[in-house]
Amino acid sequence: MRLGRGALVGGTAGLVLLAAGALACGTAGGGFGEGGALALLRFPRVAAAIAAGAALGLGGATQQGLFRNPLADPGLTGVFGGALLGLAALLGGAPGFAWAHAWSLPAAAFAGALGVSGLLVLLGREGPPARLLLTGLGLNAFAAAGTLLIANLAPESRELLLNGSFGDWLGMASPELIVRPLLICAGAGAALLTLARPLDLLALGEEAAQTAGCDLRRLRRRAIVLTALAAAAATCLVGQMAFVGLLAPHLARALVGPRHGLVLPLSAVLGAALLLTADTLGRAALPGTPLSAAAVMALLGAPLFVWIARRHHG
Amino acid sequence: MADLVLQFSRVAYERSGRRLLDGVGLSLRAGEAVALVGANGAGKTTLLRAAAGLLPATTGDITATGLDPRTAAPAAAARRRIYAEQHPSCAWDQTVAELGALGGRPAAWKDWAGRLALTDLAERPLASLSGGERQAAHLARLFASLEEPYGALLLLDEPTAALDRGRRETVHAAVRAWAQAGAAVLVATHDEAWARAFPRVIALEEGRLIADGPPAAVFTAGLVCAVWAGSPA
Repeated sequence: MRLGRGALVGGTAGLVLLAAGALACGTAGGGFGEGGALALLRFPRVAAAIAAGAALGLGGATQQGLFRNPLADPGLTGVFGGALLGLAALLGGAPGFAWAHAWSLPAAAFAGALGVSGLLVLLGREGPPARLLLTGLGLNAFAAAGTLLIANLAPESRELLLNGSFGDWLGMASPELIVRPLLICAGAGAALLTLARPLDLLALGEEAAQTAGCDLRRLRRRAIVLTALAAAAATCLVGQMAFVGLLAPHLARALVGPRHGLVLPLSAVLGAALLLTADTLGRAALPGTPLSAAAVMALLGAPLFVWIARRHHG
Repeated sequence: MADLVLQFSRVAYERSGRRLLDGVGLSLRAGEAVALVGANGAGKTTLLRAAAGLLPATTGDITATGLDPRTAAPAAAARRRIYAEQHPSCAWDQTVAELGALGGRPAAWKDWAGRLALTDLAERPLASLSGGERQAAHLARLFASLEEPYGALLLLDEPTAALDRGRRETVHAAVRAWAQAGAAVLVATHDEAWARAFPRVIALEEGRLIADGPPAAVFTAGLVCAVWAGSPA
C-alpha cells in the first residue's frame, strides 16, 4: 500500500522530533541545558546533519532516477569521493588560501564532485546497471587513494582529511563553517525538486522520455550539476558518507511509490532523519567513545544495502 | 500544403555500415491512416524513429507537424505527436494508474483505461502484469496524452503485437477514429489482415520504399512474399 503525501507529513514531523531529541542528547549529558545553552551549542551540528542528510537523500534519488539504476548513490558512485578529493587538493595545496576564503572550500569540493560526475556519465551511463556501479566504485577508490596521497604529502591537513574520509566532520560544525554549505544545500535541494516531472518521464526510457517532450540533455546537465553541488555541500559538512543516498530513496519508494514528486522530497526528509539518527547514536549511545556518523551509518546501512540488493535481484 | 503532417524526402540512415533507410520519400496528410509493412529488418521501426526525431544522424529532409523532429525542441515536437515504442519499459515498479498519470490528463486516461480493459488492473504494479496487459497500459498512457487529434501525428510501432482480440479491436477502432478526426496515423504492423484494412499501405524492403498505395495494389503476389515471408519479390 502506498501512503502518498501523508508519508511526507509524517516523515517531516518525525524529523522535527528527532531534531529535538538530537538537541537534547550529548556526551555532556541529556537535556537542553540552562536557558537552552546546550541545545544552542549542539544546534550547528544538528543543522549540519539535517542539511547534509537531505542533500545526500536528494542526490541519491536524483542519481537513481537519472541513471534508471536503483543502486546509484553519490556515495558509492564516487561523487562524494570526488568532492573530498577536491577539498583535499585545496587543503593540501593551499591551506592558507582555503581558510582565508571560506567560499573556496565548497567551490573545490564542487569541482571534484563535478569532475567525477562527468567521468561517471562518460564511462558508465550506457550498458547494464552494474557497469555504472562498477565504474563508480572504481572512481571512488581512485578518489579515496588521491585523498590519502594528499593527506600523506600535507602533514598539516592530514588529520583533518583522514577525519573527512571517515565521515567525521560533523563534530567540528560551527556557525561560520556551516553557513555556506547550508545555503548551497538549500539552493541545490530546491532546484533538484523541480526535476520530478522529467525524471518521471525518464523512468520510461530515454527514447520514450524524449518523445514525450523531455529535453534529455538539459535534464542531464541540470541533474549532474545540482547533484554535484549538493554532494559538495554535504561533503563540506560531514565528510565522506555512504549509504544515506542509497537507502533514503529506496525507503521513500517503498512508502510512496515511484513518483518523483513525492520520492524527491521524501528522500530528503528520510536522508536527514537517517544521518541525524546515525550522528546522535554515534555520540550518545556509547558515552566516552563516540563513533562517527559514517561508522554508525555503515553499521546500519550495510545490512540494509544487502537486503535491497537481494530484493532488487530476486 | 496546410494539411501535410509528415513528409520524408530522400531520407537515408546508416548504422555500422548497413543502410537502414535508403532514399525514402513519403508524405502523410491530416486524416490519413497508413499501414507500414515489411519483413523483419526492412526498416519499419527505423522509419518511425526517424519521424519521431530519435535518429539525428539521418540525412535528407524530414518534416513532422511542421517541424524538423531532429532539431526541434523536444517539448514542441511532442505537443502534437505520439510515438508508441515496440517494446516499452519502465525503470521502477509503477502501477498501471501511476503510469497513466504521466500522460497528465486523468479523465482521458480513465476513459482509455476503461476501453483497454485496464480499470480493474489500475492499482496493480506493471511487473505483475502479462506482456499484453503491459503493452495496453503503455498505450493507454500515450493515447490519453493526445489532446487534439486534428493535425497530430501518431507513430505506432506494432501496437497490437501482444494484445488479445478485444484490446486489438479497440486499437483498430481508435486508429480509424483518429484518422476521421484529422490525425495522420502511421502504424507498423505484421498483422496482414489489419494492414489490408487500411486505405493505404507502404511497404519497405531493406530500407527502401518499394510500394505505396491502396492494399489491393500493394499486396501483389510478389510483394506479399517479400513483406510477409522476407524473401525477394
